[in-house]
Amino acid sequence: MKRYLLMRVLQLVPVTLVVIVLNFLLVHMAPGDVSIVLAGDSADPAYLATIRERYGLDRPFIEQLWRYLVQVGSGDLGVSFRSREPVFAEIMSRVPATLLLVGTSLGISVVLGTIIGAWIARHPGSALDSGVSALAVALFSIPVFWLGLMLVLLFAVQFQVLPAMGMTSVDGPREGLGRMLDVAQHMVLPVLSLTTVSLGQYIRLSRSAVAEVLGESYITTVRAIGFPERTVLMHYALRNALLPVVTVLGLQLGLVLTGAVLTETVFSWPGLGRLIYDAILARDTPVIMGAFIVMSVTVALASLATDLVYAALDPRVKLA
Amino acid sequence: MRALPLQILFGAVVLAGAAVTAAAQQPATLVVPQLGEPKTLSPNFASDSLGFAPTSNVYSHLVAIDWGVNKGTGAYGDLAESWTTTEDGKTVTFKLVKNAKWHDGKPVTAHDVKFTFDTIIRKKYPAYVVLKNIKDITVTDDQTVVLNLIDPEIGFVPMLAQVSTWTAKIYPKHLWEGQDGFDTGPLVNAPVGSGPFKFSRWEKGGLVEFDANKDYFRGAPKLDRLVFRQMTDVNVARAEFDSGRLQFLNYEYAPPLAEIPALQRDPKVKVVFTPSHFSRDIQINLKKAPLDNIKVRQAIAHAIDRDTMNKLAFNGLWKPAINASVESQGDLINRDAKFPAFDKARAEKLLDEAGLPRGAGGWRFDVSVTNPNFPDCKAMMEVLVQQLRQVGINAKLEQFDQATWFRRQAEKQFDISCYFTRYGPDPDAFREHFMTGGGRNNMSYSNPEFDALAQKAATLNNKEERRKMYHRIQELIVADLPYINLFNEQKTTLIRTGWSGFNTEPEAFDKAVTWFGYYSVVPPGK
Repeated sequence: MKRYLLMRVLQLVPVTLVVIVLNFLLVHMAPGDVSIVLAGDSADPAYLATIRERYGLDRPFIEQLWRYLVQVGSGDLGVSFRSREPVFAEIMSRVPATLLLVGTSLGISVVLGTIIGAWIARHPGSALDSGVSALAVALFSIPVFWLGLMLVLLFAVQFQVLPAMGMTSVDGPREGLGRMLDVAQHMVLPVLSLTTVSLGQYIRLSRSAVAEVLGESYITTVRAIGFPERTVLMHYALRNALLPVVTVLGLQLGLVLTGAVLTETVFSWPGLGRLIYDAILARDTPVIMGAFIVMSVTVALASLATDLVYAALDPRVKLA
Repeated sequence: MRALPLQILFGAVVLAGAAVTAAAQQPATLVVPQLGEPKTLSPNFASDSLGFAPTSNVYSHLVAIDWGVNKGTGAYGDLAESWTTTEDGKTVTFKLVKNAKWHDGKPVTAHDVKFTFDTIIRKKYPAYVVLKNIKDITVTDDQTVVLNLIDPEIGFVPMLAQVSTWTAKIYPKHLWEGQDGFDTGPLVNAPVGSGPFKFSRWEKGGLVEFDANKDYFRGAPKLDRLVFRQMTDVNVARAEFDSGRLQFLNYEYAPPLAEIPALQRDPKVKVVFTPSHFSRDIQINLKKAPLDNIKVRQAIAHAIDRDTMNKLAFNGLWKPAINASVESQGDLINRDAKFPAFDKARAEKLLDEAGLPRGAGGWRFDVSVTNPNFPDCKAMMEVLVQQLRQVGINAKLEQFDQATWFRRQAEKQFDISCYFTRYGPDPDAFREHFMTGGGRNNMSYSNPEFDALAQKAATLNNKEERRKMYHRIQELIVADLPYINLFNEQKTTLIRTGWSGFNTEPEAFDKAVTWFGYYSVVPPGK
């Protein structure tokens, strides 16, 4: 087991390396000149030259890449072109906001979606089943930014009960319970819009998985023994049906840090998604690269976690 | 991460109403929405459009300019109490105000001005574009700084005021001395200035907050707090304004002009239109055939119907421009020098004469029309393409993100492009746009008579003689057509009734301190 974990962690090195090279190439090929973005269009050519020199942009591509690899190898993600602050700190300052938003919404969608899915799977083809399934597809297909705007219109403009944007109030408390409540208020609309859209996915996933498991002969046996239907469903069927849900959750967990750019933009949420988006617009290579590295590491770790959970859920899976 | 208990979420819904009311009871806080985050709070080392507003309120300038350009103000003193220019136009002496203090309590002196400008020149920071004409700077006493220029330049002070609005803020020497440049050290993102507001905090991704500087040398601002809050979605910002939680929407959030009549009927809202000293126009690449043919350019000018364009693009609310200038320039406008008027038949005839008859499909030649990602440019260019197609020019619209568009424009990779020519604060702006090799002369325009006149006019002290030269310059431009002026640029701002003194309102002209200043804002009941 230890050996397995070590191997998996070691695999991160080549993965990260490929991610760096590919993204470095992509950023390099994108049109637009970072020195002009930084200095403004009427800047003096001499100043543009000093910027290029300062950031090493005048060097050949291979040399820029090599320097960056050496720097990352020594554990330094560099300094943002835009803010002049260390990239790692810049990224970490945004992680809590994104984790809070996307994590909460993911948690709610998975738990609620699985339960609803399992519930309607008891009678496949019933009116309840087709009704909820159709609704799930509908929810799944709503564009998240549109839903966000509609929620703002309803709760922030019409009823004026919830804040429409940001993570805290300008005049809100800065610490303690007051701040938690303030943040919670600001979370309601973005979490609601994200959850609504991802909920449908989990409902459908868990419905079809549970429906399939319910047809297996061991369920017939369990029923024949006389367990109550609730126990059959929750204890025997759901556990086996959870595998596909865990797979999808694992994939999405890895993407948690990419944030939800659209939702973060609509609600001006100070998350990682927006940081990356801004960095791309400004050709802020160190931040783009740093974010990709952090993201690829999370994806790899999430898939490792998924495998571990698999082993726990399904005794047939052995990690060697 | 702990999942947030659902109870809190629901409890929050109940509590939300209370919090909203509490926020409304603090009228001395102004929240200004911004489309994104400033790069840094050090304005002098890079051009940072989202940093202009926060930094213009925390730092002071030697001289300033604001929307008062509309009533003809070229520059007014900020830290400078007064200034004199020698007869030969080569030496400018500034007297500083005596009571200006840095936010740490130390006095602002002429040494700070010299230190700031010397650093900008040494590092060739963006403001170097104006300061490069400085030979040396001498400090005669704490309140007097003398700038010795290399070449006489009458427009120097207005140009300095203009560049200061973005990027020549005065920095405290005693706090920056140890740094190599203006992009390193602890003050980059925690500025200490001498302006009307003091830096309080920066919540990354959220807001930048400033408190009133009660010791400000022009007197304490009427606002207690100034907050620049990131609102990345235009529609959400508008919803916040409509629901009364924002008091002010600046022109970046301007509503579609079609909604203006409805807003004008709303007694709770003031709609303010402010013309600028920029135009919205098209630059034509003179190096590209057949655009190098004057007849073709004349035909293009004749094909443009500004009134229809105004209706379709701006709901008829902008002012068409037919001279090579804009209204703020007053008697500097040569009203007799007009661009060719709308006349489709004449356009077709000129194109025939130019040897470009209608061919297959009725097309004479292909041309691409480009625009940066500005909503007004986009709206205008969509109409322009249709108007050109009507006279047989096969025009196609191409759009680029801002960085790409700037690069393509500078590399002269365009046929016809939307542009924003500037005419003030000093008419010397003509040189930058139209002189051979000028920084914004993307058209490759070159006319020896223009060059000689513009060079001469920049050094002349005699107003009347200068005016004549600029009138002649406009004649040359409308004859050669390197660009075609279309509209006087105009900004739309929404203000909640009861609030006043916003920088785009006439009562704030020459008082706002820069285009981005909020010093002059008066909240209700103050």
